[in-house]
Amino acid sequence: MPKRFFQAFDRWREHRDIKTKPWHEHSYFVLDMETTGLDPKQNQVISLGWVLVENGAIQLDTAQHLLLDSAQIDDISVGIHMITESDVMEQGRRHASVLRYLRQIMKDKVLVVHYSPLELGFLKSLWQTQPMPALAFDWIDTMQLEMQRRSRAQEVIAEGGYRLGPCRERYGLPDYPGHDALTDAMATAELLLAQVAHFNGHEPSLQELVRMGGGRMRLSSNNKSQ
Amino acid sequence: MAAIDIPEVLKFIDSTPPFSGLTHTQQKQLLSGVEMTYARQGEKMNLEGNQATLHLIRRGACEIRSAKGGLVDKLADGDCFGISTVLEQNPDGLQVLVLEDSLIYRFQKEGFQQLLQESEEFALFFAHARSSRLRKLSRAHATDLAAPALQLSTAISQIMSRNLISAGVQDTVQQAAAIMTEARVSSILVLQEQRLVGIVTDRDLRSRVLAIGASADLPLSEIMTCSPTSIDAKSLVMHAQTLMSEKNIHHLPVTEGDGVPVGMVTAADLLRHQELSPLLLINQINRQTDITSLREVCQQLNTLIVNLILTDMKTTDLGNVIAAISDSLTRRIIELGMDRYGPAPLPFQFLVFGSQARKDQSLGSDQDNGMMLSRQPNADEAEYFAKLAQFVCDGLAQCGIRSCPGDIMASNPKWRMTQEGWQQAFANWIEASSPSSLLNASIFFDIRCVYGEDDGVQQLLQNMQARVAKSSLFLATLTRAATVTKPPIGFFRNFLLESSGEHKHQLDLKHQGLALINDLARIYGLGCKRYHVGTKERLEQAAREKLMGLDVARNLMDAWDELNELRLQAQRQHWQNTGEPSAYLDPSELSSLERKHLKSTFAIIADGQTAALQRYARGYA
Repeated sequence: MPKRFFQAFDRWREHRDIKTKPWHEHSYFVLDMETTGLDPKQNQVISLGWVLVENGAIQLDTAQHLLLDSAQIDDISVGIHMITESDVMEQGRRHASVLRYLRQIMKDKVLVVHYSPLELGFLKSLWQTQPMPALAFDWIDTMQLEMQRRSRAQEVIAEGGYRLGPCRERYGLPDYPGHDALTDAMATAELLLAQVAHFNGHEPSLQELVRMGGGRMRLSSNNKSQ
Repeated sequence: MAAIDIPEVLKFIDSTPPFSGLTHTQQKQLLSGVEMTYARQGEKMNLEGNQATLHLIRRGACEIRSAKGGLVDKLADGDCFGISTVLEQNPDGLQVLVLEDSLIYRFQKEGFQQLLQESEEFALFFAHARSSRLRKLSRAHATDLAAPALQLSTAISQIMSRNLISAGVQDTVQQAAAIMTEARVSSILVLQEQRLVGIVTDRDLRSRVLAIGASADLPLSEIMTCSPTSIDAKSLVMHAQTLMSEKNIHHLPVTEGDGVPVGMVTAADLLRHQELSPLLLINQINRQTDITSLREVCQQLNTLIVNLILTDMKTTDLGNVIAAISDSLTRRIIELGMDRYGPAPLPFQFLVFGSQARKDQSLGSDQDNGMMLSRQPNADEAEYFAKLAQFVCDGLAQCGIRSCPGDIMASNPKWRMTQEGWQQAFANWIEASSPSSLLNASIFFDIRCVYGEDDGVQQLLQNMQARVAKSSLFLATLTRAATVTKPPIGFFRNFLLESSGEHKHQLDLKHQGLALINDLARIYGLGCKRYHVGTKERLEQAAREKLMGLDVARNLMDAWDELNELRLQAQRQHWQNTGEPSAYLDPSELSSLERKHLKSTFAIIADGQTAALQRYARGYA
């Protein structure tokens, strides 16, 4: 019993030490999903777009745009032909392979989304569709970061002013006409960079970012992995 | 997925030279491993270690400075830096400062180096950028004027006074005057819930209170200037100066974010930072009471322009500054004329055409102007306007704005008409057009009102546009006429230099280059729904209305900047050597790289002409 306690304590301390490191020493998985609606319980994910932020810069080659074969869509016509470069493709287990691929990439990274209730909700329900090993991670919501920053500065932002576009505009980021999952993931990653650059005059630690607008989450399926 | 497969990345790369000229495979190769970073205003870019590589600005503004801090170049969206760190380990110690928050692509050095080997055109582009920066660097070293250059691009926040003198809207005139006296300042900000809602200056106290015997107990809200012009703390001294010249104001509140005042800049603050400034000159112009003293003041004009060219002011900003000065001068002379001949018997507008209207004058531009009268004058009134116009045109000539060789001047009775008269003139040009007469008339399509109500001119333009829209033949004829002169593409080998006269074997950058772009922009401008007068605004508008591809428009704007810069530098050199402006360029003074680049600039114009012919003159040939 004491041994297990100490192990748990060490893990906690290790995690805490990691979190106090400056933000750029972490890897971030910036995700956006296109869905059939706004309710994670009713609606489905159509596509996922993501890009990684490492060493404080967006690594453009890591961008991915995947379509999911949902129940309603014909397997063959849509498929997941867009992940041709990845090995998961050959395995042919579409929905399942994408999720495993996703899990593998998300491991040890911080999830970044714009408007977490929606994106986290859909991730949770995605995890229910397949027997998946559990996954715990820190997450940051750029919308929450923005709301915190503006309310601390006592700025009043008009309704709708926390959507991705208006948030980006306040930092002088370019207007992207497209709104597919990949473009929005890129747009969110750029917004994160801008927010970090404007963080109270110093480079924030991951902990500071998570405290300001984030949290920690654990995804698991009801049926354990086989 | 490769970076180039991201739609927004591909779109930007495909519209940004020299990357747009690469094959897809080459683009993919260059973009392999590319990163995107965000740099905050005021930051100094780290260009060491693995960051010593090519950078491309996606959105933002930076400047390159020499090791000692002299300004070498200003960069914005689509511009590159870090070239010399790749090519030769940055021997000059150039630094890159971030002027505005910037989103920047950082390429892998290896891919860039490999492409330099592979594509001659690509390499040439960067070699040119490098050599032109070196040239600017040597100039920054060579002239004593490096200091004003620094000051023009100093942030406003560095020179503003932070000691805010303010009062509330309900405070009385008396209270405000007491605060101002106590603080020894000439203006006071009027705040409501921390926000700037008005300003009151010494002059306001004089003219809006004392002069009319108003009560000192009035609240400030009654006499203040509401929603005064202000400037963001991030702006540069240069912007403040342009703004104050344009609006003819002396007190400029500095705000941050949503109108919260943080400081104040006065004309005097700016003067302290620069001895000879556009604002000072405009102030002096407005204070002179006769032509003789005005002429003396204007003798500084060319020196000022030369200084501004030396400080690497952007050509568009320079154009705006010179226009602001010419406009003030014109207005002042009209006022002096009215002092002499009495007030005008009927409302009128003083019109300017050509380069002053487009705001792209340079050294030694001449005057092109006219008058629009609100109605048909009787004999006496006509006599009055003849005298006034003569006075104005003579005055301008004495002040260094030469008379127009083609006699397009208000002093010519032909160019003093009523609004209907001008409308008829435009109608004649549009409908009964022969190519040559049309080309001579094209200068009138660049028109701006510098004195009197602008509405009449706007109506005139609307009327003109409606006519143009109805006459498809007009744009075709104008296009054919405007494309008769071709840019001198066969530079140096079989170069079509002016083959006779004083400027034998010299390149006329204005008529063989800039004017051709102005002509093209005018054709597209006339085809646009929204009418602009400036060349770059017209090209931008044409791209926005999809009359012209975005890349064609950008290329033409770049070519225009390039030629303008060359012309201004040539003029400056010639002026400093001889005291005379000249738009001619001696090709032997160019490096071989510059010649090649100039050649590609001319090729862009030729492409633009072809596109215009395709669009507007197809079927009429």
